[in-house]
Amino acid sequence: MPDLPELDPVVHGRLRLALLSLLSGVEEAEFTWLRAKTEATDGNLGAQLLKLEEAGYVAVKKKFVLRKPQTLYRITERGRQALTEYVQALKQLLGPAIDS
Amino acid sequence: MQGHTTEQELKDRLSLIESMIAEGRRNTESWGWTFVLWGVVYYLAIAWSAWGHRVWAWPVTILIAVIVTVVVASLKAGNHPETTLGRAIGSIWIALGISMFLLFLALGLSGRLTDQHLFVAVMSAILGMANGASALILRWKVQFACAVVWWVAAVITCFGTDAQSTIVFLVAIFLCQIVFGIYGVIAEAQERKRRPIHA
Repeated sequence: MPDLPELDPVVHGRLRLALLSLLSGVEEAEFTWLRAKTEATDGNLGAQLLKLEEAGYVAVKKKFVLRKPQTLYRITERGRQALTEYVQALKQLLGPAIDS
Repeated sequence: MQGHTTEQELKDRLSLIESMIAEGRRNTESWGWTFVLWGVVYYLAIAWSAWGHRVWAWPVTILIAVIVTVVVASLKAGNHPETTLGRAIGSIWIALGISMFLLFLALGLSGRLTDQHLFVAVMSAILGMANGASALILRWKVQFACAVVWWVAAVITCFGTDAQSTIVFLVAIFLCQIVFGIYGVIAEAQERKRRPIHA
């Protein structure tokens, strides 16, 4: 029997997984856009984004637009790789149950 | 970890990934209004040309339309993230605006904007190219139909009379700018009604 793959705990968190998936479809996204899409609170969203940043899965950029601070997030190559591996592991774990 | 994770939870994670990727890529920008705006602009430029200001009518109206489009688009953009797809489509239309402005300004100033058939043919071909490229990227059949209308207009005007050329051009603007633009506005409004999927 083949070894079952481990799921990356950083990616597995529901909100972190949603964030990585959202960021995988865009070039970069603002904090406010991510908050609107996930309906998470500022505190929770900030904490989960920080975890992803510490893992090297997202990169953050701060800038000022019309004197207003803007925080932009983008998925890194490492983050994209982690998400891909997570999906592969999920599919492997689910096996035939994936279609049911 | 997976020892404590149920099959249902794993399926739920997979479906969350799919829905969030789709959500990120969903086109929440609204561009239907630009087609209506530019349709009106073309009609205004045609009317102004017919009034007797052929040299300035097209460059001035196109320049004003470009400025209005850029200002309104940047106000509407809000915090929507940029996607590669959105940038590709935007690039096509920005390049079209610059090409038309430069071409018609140069033709007007040089006094060579005298052949109506050539003007309609060039304009229709450029619009057919932009609509066609955009439709092929988006795999949008309705917009590709607009491209076909523009290409047909470009060919017909080369062989028709002055009156036929004018009618073809006016009809193409109505179908591909006004009608298509209103269709776009309605389609975008329906898209926005769909609730976002929460994490």
